Amino acid sequence: MPAKPDTAISRRSFLKWTGAATAATAVGARTPVLHALVPSEETTASGKVEHHFSVCDMCLNKCGLIARVEKGVVTKLDPNPKFLKSRGMLCARGNAGIAQLYDPDRLKYPLLRKGKRGEGKWQRLRWDQALDYAAEQLRTIAEQYTRCGVLFSPGSDMQSTFVHWFAEVFGSYNVTTHESACLLSRNRAYLDTFGEVPFSDVLHTKYIIMAGANRFEALITPDSIDLMTAKQNGCKLVVLDPRYTKTAGLADEWYQVRPGTDMAFFLALMHVIISEKLYNADYAAEKLFGLEQLAEHVKQYSPEWAEVECQIPAQDIRRIARELAAAAPTAIVYPGRRTSDYVNSTQIRRSMAILNGLLGNWDRPGGLLAARQVGLSKPELPEAPWYEDNPEDRLDMGRAHMMFEEEGSFKHMRDAIIEAKPYPIKGWLVYKHNPLQSEANRQRTLEMMVKLDFILTVDIAMSDTAWMSDLVLPAPSYLERQDPATGLQGSSACACVVTRNPVVPTLFESKPVFWILKELANRLELGEHFDFTMEDYRKQQLKNLPDGERALREDGVYYNPSKLYGVYEGRVYKTKSKRIELYNERYAEMGVDPMPVYRSPREVPAGRFRLVVGRNAYFTHCTTQNNGLLHEFMPENTLWINPKSASALGIQDGDLVEVISAAGKGELKAEFKSGIREDTVYMASGFGVLSKGLTNIYGKGACIAEVLEDYSDELSGNMAMHETFVQVTRKVA
Amino acid sequence: MKSKMIKRHSKVTIFMHWFNAFCWFFLLATGLGLIKNEDLQLMGGWWSNLMYSIFGGGETLLLVHEICGLTWLVVFIVYMIFGSRKYIIPFLKQVSTYSLSADLKWLIKKNIQMTLGNKWLKRLGFTQDIPDQGFYNVGQKLFAVASVLGGIMIAATGLIMFLSNIFLQNTAIVQWAIVIHFIAAGVVTGGLLIHIYMAAISPDERPAFFSMFTGSVPEDYAEHHHKLWYDEIKTAERKGQSA
Amino acid sequence: MKRQLAMVIDSASCIDCKACMTACKVENKVPPGNWRNWIKEQDPDLEHLNNLEPMHFQPGNCMHCDNPTCVQACPTSATYKDNKDGTIKVNKKLCIGCGSCIPACPYGARYRHPEDKVVDKCDFCERRRARGELPACVTTCPTKARTFGDLKDSNSEVARLLKSDNIVRVVNRETDTQPNIYYLSMTAPTDWPVKAETPSAIRLWKAINPFVWGFVGLNVLGVLAMLGKQLLIKEEPLEVEHR
Repeated sequence: MPAKPDTAISRRSFLKWTGAATAATAVGARTPVLHALVPSEETTASGKVEHHFSVCDMCLNKCGLIARVEKGVVTKLDPNPKFLKSRGMLCARGNAGIAQLYDPDRLKYPLLRKGKRGEGKWQRLRWDQALDYAAEQLRTIAEQYTRCGVLFSPGSDMQSTFVHWFAEVFGSYNVTTHESACLLSRNRAYLDTFGEVPFSDVLHTKYIIMAGANRFEALITPDSIDLMTAKQNGCKLVVLDPRYTKTAGLADEWYQVRPGTDMAFFLALMHVIISEKLYNADYAAEKLFGLEQLAEHVKQYSPEWAEVECQIPAQDIRRIARELAAAAPTAIVYPGRRTSDYVNSTQIRRSMAILNGLLGNWDRPGGLLAARQVGLSKPELPEAPWYEDNPEDRLDMGRAHMMFEEEGSFKHMRDAIIEAKPYPIKGWLVYKHNPLQSEANRQRTLEMMVKLDFILTVDIAMSDTAWMSDLVLPAPSYLERQDPATGLQGSSACACVVTRNPVVPTLFESKPVFWILKELANRLELGEHFDFTMEDYRKQQLKNLPDGERALREDGVYYNPSKLYGVYEGRVYKTKSKRIELYNERYAEMGVDPMPVYRSPREVPAGRFRLVVGRNAYFTHCTTQNNGLLHEFMPENTLWINPKSASALGIQDGDLVEVISAAGKGELKAEFKSGIREDTVYMASGFGVLSKGLTNIYGKGACIAEVLEDYSDELSGNMAMHETFVQVTRKVA
Repeated sequence: MKSKMIKRHSKVTIFMHWFNAFCWFFLLATGLGLIKNEDLQLMGGWWSNLMYSIFGGGETLLLVHEICGLTWLVVFIVYMIFGSRKYIIPFLKQVSTYSLSADLKWLIKKNIQMTLGNKWLKRLGFTQDIPDQGFYNVGQKLFAVASVLGGIMIAATGLIMFLSNIFLQNTAIVQWAIVIHFIAAGVVTGGLLIHIYMAAISPDERPAFFSMFTGSVPEDYAEHHHKLWYDEIKTAERKGQSA
Repeated sequence: MKRQLAMVIDSASCIDCKACMTACKVENKVPPGNWRNWIKEQDPDLEHLNNLEPMHFQPGNCMHCDNPTCVQACPTSATYKDNKDGTIKVNKKLCIGCGSCIPACPYGARYRHPEDKVVDKCDFCERRRARGELPACVTTCPTKARTFGDLKDSNSEVARLLKSDNIVRVVNRETDTQPNIYYLSMTAPTDWPVKAETPSAIRLWKAINPFVWGFVGLNVLGVLAMLGKQLLIKEEPLEVEHR
């Protein structure tokens, strides 16, 4: 009889079989195919969803937002529909704030430099160690070099007011901000024309000339949004730009103006308007000072003359002048912001301000608006001590005719630190500011840093400036912070107050600069000047706004229903003549041209290019290129070059090129742009970083700050960043 | 006199057969239910809609199809690991031995016989002698081969589709997997219909049907339908007895 | 269709700020390298400054078409047109990530999620709508270029806008999918959507489908013939015995 076939499965094979089967199903259970059985996000209704107000910090506009927080994680930032200044929107950067909050490259704890500056070797410190060390360094410098031996550089931030205050109580006059790489020329010009710096009522204007200002990319609220609405309502937009930007592309007329000659254009416009008597004579008699002198002055600046300079056809200049005058007073020569371009940038803006004066658009719909009342109070704080041994003045004083005392000039400060004249500066406290990328001539900034014994940077990411510092302290993002109240001017949209409260708890060991300064103050026997909480401070700020707290809590913003138009009714202008100064006597007294006198910009040498600076809507200056969401839009910068110019140099689209100037050089890919002048090149800011702590962009692109030479405006000391001529050569691999 | 029973199928074979059959029905029903496309679905999608309402939606239908398919595959893999020597290799040997002329003759004659009857064999000019068959007749062999090859293709393509959500990056391979899966299933299903008729409905093969439960067939059935196998068994018996 | 959700976009007011692309990416956790929405651009030919076409930006996303070629390419209707709100949905638990629908969209609106490995695309922010919010791209836009709503609701803003002259849709000449994103007056570029392509595997399937069913059908006929013979024909015994 043959053995029975395996009717009885042996124990061993049974285990083998079931074991294998179990293993198989165990694997199966972990696979995503069984996702049908997993409760979906939609069905898990128990997850808490919260909404919190805040204001964005991804650029200076501070658009109101509502943060959606799910189970303690911020999942979306949406616009606050009640926020008039932003017209209820949130741009790409605003949405990308989440990637700043959860940035894997974020600084997490205090870092002390080990090894040489820039080596990237750090030692982690406890907060008390870091603060003790910092206080000691500051004290040592103060003892050896006076209080003014420390330079303070607060960035554009709602807590920067405390950095200014700390500098004051510490006793240093030496404070620089990004303003002297930006809008000081404009401020100077408008202050010296109208007595204050105006805002533009873009929404209601019918004719607007933008020279250089790229509002559809360099977003300013509400102007950028209102510009589109105004256009839809029949406003004509005329753009002067050597580069075909998106604003140029969406304009009614674009002129590829020869860089640095805008003044010729505006003087010619005034020539036409005055000679053809296209201005309001009554208004002029009442409000304008110096029309006679101006009329005489602009006689020489005919459109035919201007055409040769700025390369805009004379007939167009004439026509635009007539159109502009016809639309006046609902017409604007847009003041712009970043006016850090030429050595005579203040006078260029004077010509624009004067023209605005002539159009009679001040303080009325569709024209230039005075600052509106916001209503915040300045809290009372114990008076800052007086330091006997302090020098006379800030270090950079006297190096430019009409420097703003409170702002100074970074370029001049830097030169003075390198020269150590009239006295040395040895310490630098930087908050949320990145001069190595934002100021022209990076090598010079590095040279300045060599002179410094102690550099402390407070920031959220390892910027180039942090990378080269001695002590780096981690700051939280805006979504983790409680901030003081701040007033915002929204031109015709509103005048409002905003503040911040934490949306999520602080991550890692980051600390707001307010706390850091308090701790430093305590260690430097200055504690009494910082003996208040943020809540106290805010309460005092809001004391004259009884509805302020409620509005901020319930709407995320407080509106002051302050006067919009006619603010100057029955008031005089804050100028010497008490009128709008077409002719500035103070200037004449100082030996400065009382009315802008045209000077041709330096000629671009043959075979070279003028390098210009510009912005786009998805980056903020030089600070968001590493953002996890935004860097997809531009993984590296390229050199915009006209195809004809490129071909003449044997460069093809996409080739690696070297850009060299007297200041430095950089390597990046060339990008053909038929919309840029043949004698001009452009690259975006924020690339070619030194810092290996910016992992998305390290090793990518070139640094424009490295290549820009540090010319400056003669009057305000504002950096002049369009005066650099570069050589472009093809890099053979 | 009642015929003596010969052992034809082992318990393992019986299990695998019914396991396979059950899985096939379930997989076919659910698989067809998953096809929901204007150009491809059966009869305006009524079968798909029926499956959807029975199982409560497309994702559950997919889930049960995948679970059954994976179980089917795993059991077969285990069967292949442990049963190769004893069951699979002999089986494969049997279903892959053919003698061309005899088998062709059998096929043609059987087709006519099963559909038109013996009368027509004569009428069409064929002799009525049907070639002897071994353990499996040619029809069974061909269906077996189709099932095995088809089954392998279905399993492989099914596995590809299953893995698509897990770690595959190439979508073209998944697209081809879907098509081959469908075609293979279609071809085997065609043969399956014949198989079911032959096994379960045709009275001719009734004893074979029962053998898929009991494991044995009557001797005279074996002698008539699978003479070559019957001869082998008898020879072995005689050898065993004389040893 | 009870409702048809749609968008009317004033592309002339788009400034290509990328807010909508970023908002969508955050809201819907779209992985790097992929997008649910886009902004197409017309960059004028500045060489010929006399005949200057304007610079123009055209935001877009899944058009939730009325004649969806993507749905027609999907074998399982894992992607389908929802008859409650007219949106084209993807049932991610039914989708096996075969990617057949991806080239079938003239707008390239779909992508295969590199981690989930199923297809993803704009769903008009379903979860936001459930909370009573508008899609992220609509809410965030600085120039409010996008208007969203139910075009079957005569009181809605989209219905009102669609009454204007010169509403255009962007379609491929060879594949008019009847998109539900409308552009106010002019928009550019208009020649960028591509012809809907079905992957070759699926095309083969659609072509071969009748033949596979035909084959099964033949087998059914065979079974019926045999069954018929079994029931109707009284069998004559074979004239030749097996030897």
